[in-house]
Amino acid sequence: LRIGFAIGFAVLAAMAVIGVGRFIQQRQDFEDAIARSYQVEMAARVKIAQGTGHGGARAAVIREGQHRSELRDQISSETRDTALLVAAGLIAGLTGALLLFSGLISSLRRPLEQLVDAAGRLAAGDRSARVDVGGLSETATLGAAFNEMARELEIEEGRRDELDRLKDEFVLTASHELRSPLTSVQGFAELLMLDRDSLTPRQAETVEIILDNCRHLVRLLNDLLDLARSDAGRLAIRPQPTEVAPLIDDVVRTMRAQTEAGRQTLSESIEPGLPLINVEPDRIRQILVNLLTNAHEYSPEGASIGVSARSLGAEVEIAVTDNGPGIPADQLDRIFERFTRGDAGLTQRVGGTGLGLAISKSLVELHGGSIEVESTPGHGSIFRFRLPVAATAAIDGGQSRAAAEAS
Amino acid sequence: MANILVADDSETILLLMRTRLEMAGHTVETAEDGQDVIDHISAGFVPDVLLLDAMMPRKSGIDALRELRAAGHAVPALIVSAHQNRGDADAPTDLEVNGYITKPIDFDRLLETIVQLTA
Repeated sequence: LRIGFAIGFAVLAAMAVIGVGRFIQQRQDFEDAIARSYQVEMAARVKIAQGTGHGGARAAVIREGQHRSELRDQISSETRDTALLVAAGLIAGLTGALLLFSGLISSLRRPLEQLVDAAGRLAAGDRSARVDVGGLSETATLGAAFNEMARELEIEEGRRDELDRLKDEFVLTASHELRSPLTSVQGFAELLMLDRDSLTPRQAETVEIILDNCRHLVRLLNDLLDLARSDAGRLAIRPQPTEVAPLIDDVVRTMRAQTEAGRQTLSESIEPGLPLINVEPDRIRQILVNLLTNAHEYSPEGASIGVSARSLGAEVEIAVTDNGPGIPADQLDRIFERFTRGDAGLTQRVGGTGLGLAISKSLVELHGGSIEVESTPGHGSIFRFRLPVAATAAIDGGQSRAAAEAS
Repeated sequence: MANILVADDSETILLLMRTRLEMAGHTVETAEDGQDVIDHISAGFVPDVLLLDAMMPRKSGIDALRELRAAGHAVPALIVSAHQNRGDADAPTDLEVNGYITKPIDFDRLLETIVQLTA
């Protein structure tokens, strides 16, 4: 293409040079001829004036006048021809240039389209996107640079995946390794408590403290494991059509002992006739336990805690309400971030891991739902989360279908 | 009351299991890994329930159970997993497992499950 371009330009330039050269030459010749004609005429006129001329001199004057007139006609016709030649050359050159230009454009367009397409795929996450650009050396260089970039991105991604995998594996292994001794500590402490009557009150209290801390460690381990999985995108859920009311009843029943110990009231308000939701029941139980544990631990003795559920069409909204101290506005924004906890004074007596809300958010979002918080300091907090309704309406049909899908 | 074969690579856990299970009136035999379980059963020991730790050196509880199932043993088996969720790496879907117990062990639940399995 480049060679074609150069040849076209050379031809155009040559035609212009030839045309202009010819024009100058013609003009020169014309002026010389005119000058010669005047010289002859002048010589003839001199002879006539001197009286030495005869009829031949007069005839020469007339002839030279005619000759010059012929020369003028000739030069104007020659100039026209040259102009035509130059014009034709220009038109041919321009047409050629246009053709070459459009050729250049189309030869740029294909590689560019390829690059745009590959860049789009690369951005969309297809790290194997490459281009095969030939043509002009500039586009070929661009293509090679793109391929190099994509290759490095792919390697980088692979390295990151590997790090994620190692982190996940590490947390899993650590969690496993820590759990075995923890099982022994908790198990033998429980063994002591089975024989509580033979313990002094002080011994019993000591064992209770050991057990409390075991439970705290277990929660921490579970939460860390969940978060590591969530980060690695490996927190898998197995949703199935699930009834809302029994799920809430169950969690409220297990929480009752704790809230009663704090003389807190724990009430339930579930809209009748709620549709089935498409969730993994254990995970929703985990979210509810997290929210209710927070409500219980951050609220003072005698506080009211409530769980409610209502239908919102395609979703069911479950809310956990308390009339505790509430959450200050500056903490509200970060409340779902890990290790974010209420103010330091409360943290001393609150036994949470600081991971519960972060995990709850991950879990809700994994189900395709959303979670939000509303709080007025001094008046309490409301945590609301929404979960998608199961596609099947009937309880029996829904469950058997889910079982079929799960297998 | 049931004959229970418990496999775990931790002696402390085995002692804990034995103590709690025997307190509930069961008879307990212990194995230190999956191969030990296979050896016990090959030697003619017939437990009513298997209690297998999912992760053990030499041979895991999962691998041991897979071998037993392949050999036609239908003995009820509970897998004890250190993982919170049974959906984790150690829960193959094609293996017939009668239940999962997570560590730390909820003994009330474990004893209840054993009673159900041997009823």
